[in-house]
Amino acid sequence: MRDTLGIILPQVGDNSDLRPLLGHRTIGTLPFGGRYRLIDFSLSNLVNSGITKVGIIGSHKYSSIVDHLGTGKEWLLSRKTNDLAILTGSVNRKLDVNYTINMLDFILNKNFIKNSPADKVVLTSSNLVTTFDFDEPAEVYNKNNADVVLIYRSDKESFKTIDTDVFLTLDGRRVSDLSFGEEGKTDHKYADMMIIKKEVLLKLIDIAELNEINDLFSLISENLDTLRVYGYKHEGYFNRVFDIQKYYEASIDLLNYDVLSQLFFTDRPVYTKTKDNHPTRYGEDANIKDCIVASGAYIDGTLEHSIVFRECEVEKDTDIKNSIIMQKCKIGKNVKLDHVIFDKEVTVRDNTELIGTYKNPIILEKGEEI
Amino acid sequence: MKTETVAMLLAGGQGSRLGSLTFNNAKPAVLFGGKYRIIDFPLSNAMNSEIDTVGVLTQYRPYILNTYISDGRAWGLDKPGYGVSILPPYEGRKGGRWYEGTADAIAQNIDFIDRYDPEYVLILSGDHIYQMDYSELIDYHKEKKAQLTIAVMTVPWDDASRYGLVEVNDDYRIIAFQEKPEHPRSNLASMGIYVFNWKELRAELLADMEDDNSAHDFGMNLIPTMHAKSMRIFAYPFQGYWRDVGTVQSYFDANMDLLDDSVDFNINDKNAPFFSNNFSRSPQFISNNAKVKDSLICDGCVIFGEVEHSILSQDIFVDKNVVLKNCIVHTGAEIGDGAVLENCIIGSYAKVPKDARYIADERDNPNEIIVLNS
Repeated sequence: MRDTLGIILPQVGDNSDLRPLLGHRTIGTLPFGGRYRLIDFSLSNLVNSGITKVGIIGSHKYSSIVDHLGTGKEWLLSRKTNDLAILTGSVNRKLDVNYTINMLDFILNKNFIKNSPADKVVLTSSNLVTTFDFDEPAEVYNKNNADVVLIYRSDKESFKTIDTDVFLTLDGRRVSDLSFGEEGKTDHKYADMMIIKKEVLLKLIDIAELNEINDLFSLISENLDTLRVYGYKHEGYFNRVFDIQKYYEASIDLLNYDVLSQLFFTDRPVYTKTKDNHPTRYGEDANIKDCIVASGAYIDGTLEHSIVFRECEVEKDTDIKNSIIMQKCKIGKNVKLDHVIFDKEVTVRDNTELIGTYKNPIILEKGEEI
Repeated sequence: MKTETVAMLLAGGQGSRLGSLTFNNAKPAVLFGGKYRIIDFPLSNAMNSEIDTVGVLTQYRPYILNTYISDGRAWGLDKPGYGVSILPPYEGRKGGRWYEGTADAIAQNIDFIDRYDPEYVLILSGDHIYQMDYSELIDYHKEKKAQLTIAVMTVPWDDASRYGLVEVNDDYRIIAFQEKPEHPRSNLASMGIYVFNWKELRAELLADMEDDNSAHDFGMNLIPTMHAKSMRIFAYPFQGYWRDVGTVQSYFDANMDLLDDSVDFNINDKNAPFFSNNFSRSPQFISNNAKVKDSLICDGCVIFGEVEHSILSQDIFVDKNVVLKNCIVHTGAEIGDGAVLENCIIGSYAKVPKDARYIADERDNPNEIIVLNS
């Protein structure tokens, strides 16, 4: 898919209950699964589909994305023939209107899209937890001479995880109608990924600029009779993080070996920034069950049903359950933690007890000490 | 181009005493401590000592080693024009030949070293596990106005006859050498790390090349010749952890040292970190019925069984009902359901069948480590 430009759209999340974890980052750069950031999934999906030019639309918090991606080397995007561009986003802190896909993001980057040698564009989000091969919808695109291919889900379970509420009415593979709102008329919900012909996108950008229509789906919907819009059903594991509950759920899902295998043990690796960490050291008193642990950690306590990130330290006689502990946290001796989410570099003193619940996990912000 | 010190890393040996661990792989590229390879130690030391030019002399089975070293970026050795250079034997106008000894390998690369016009050349080898600040060694060499400085360490008298030994005077000037003697007169062992003044080494190498009776080896020929000329040769007493991992047993023991808190060697030293060249992997998954204790485990491992006092490299699959004890497992190995392994080294991508039993009893056979390969 060398003729394709990939664009990853921003998810800011400042208005959600994820906010304590988003002080210096956006949802896309939220640490996930021990050593990743959420955006690694979408970025790896593009790269693994052979897309070698990728633009990432930022928001007002650029530093976390630039810090994570660097030149894109780890995603194979820093070669002479491959490119990673961090693009200007339209989102600013005060904007709390939720568009499904905000045309301003494209208007600001019109020249980037125009100057790309690609003839089609893949749009995806920075908050998806899934592995996906864009070659398959690209086949639908090519075979039907399509203008747009919308990737959708048909299982009610994943509807809960998608908050862009766009429903597809299908006539065979062709999309005959689009409806919006929480209660959809159909069983097919847009899953935050699409392929769109570059010419068509540029035309829609022009229309948006002239008419101040700021939502891509309104434009597609209005032009449904002239555009050739198709659907492609996505199957397999799919999650999308937009609030704490979803973040917790998607994280804990990784402890299901089937989900873990689908996401990581395939020939389509999830790339991320590598660090020079030593292997994780388990002490004499370590007792680990049902956990994901990243490298560079030191564990001498009991861990159960939890996710522990790089370079964490857990001392002995400490018991951690159902928790997410991000990188470089230091947990002292004789500590009890259940249903907690700790951002990076949290320090917990000896003999501390923190018990949250599945619905209300206790969240500690970056660098907190208790 | 000008740099004060060029490091030359001897990485061409086969390491035949490591048995099947080096069948397809040069010794410096053998995995160590999970994610590291032996060559990470001298390369990381070089970086932490602010040495920016390293020549790596390769010969035996170099493919994995070459790919691993790549452009040296992983060790910060990618300074344009300097950095790491891989130096295999080559053909010149008068023909070519293999490296016939440690000194010959350097002699054949005189042009390479001349490009950097260095004051000093540091000779390192690719089979030692240690942490050393080479800049202190070089400062010592300058301070002593030495023509050659050899890093040495104190070894137990009982062990001394396994090493090349040096005798020194009060000023640490070397007055005699003893190669693996039956009756040691000293317990200062050479670590195979040398600092030479380049102009003098260059002249010695050229003379040695002309000598048909020479085996072109630093320890056997070049250094004794310099000693015979009463050149100023000093010993640099190194304090700290250093292990030669040339045999299966010493390789096994040095790995296990990483699990022994009483051993004074920190693989996680933030001030002088060890680097390695790794790809991204998934984090490790430890299942509901797994037991993991007293071990070092790398990314990508999936553990359903029991792991105790073992070192696991990346992407290892340990199936249910497995018991791994005192084992070193290399990248990508799969341990089948019910296998019981004790005191084993399991090679990269080895597939250990279901219910296999390999137990080397340390008490009965202290030197018997089972090596399983793919």
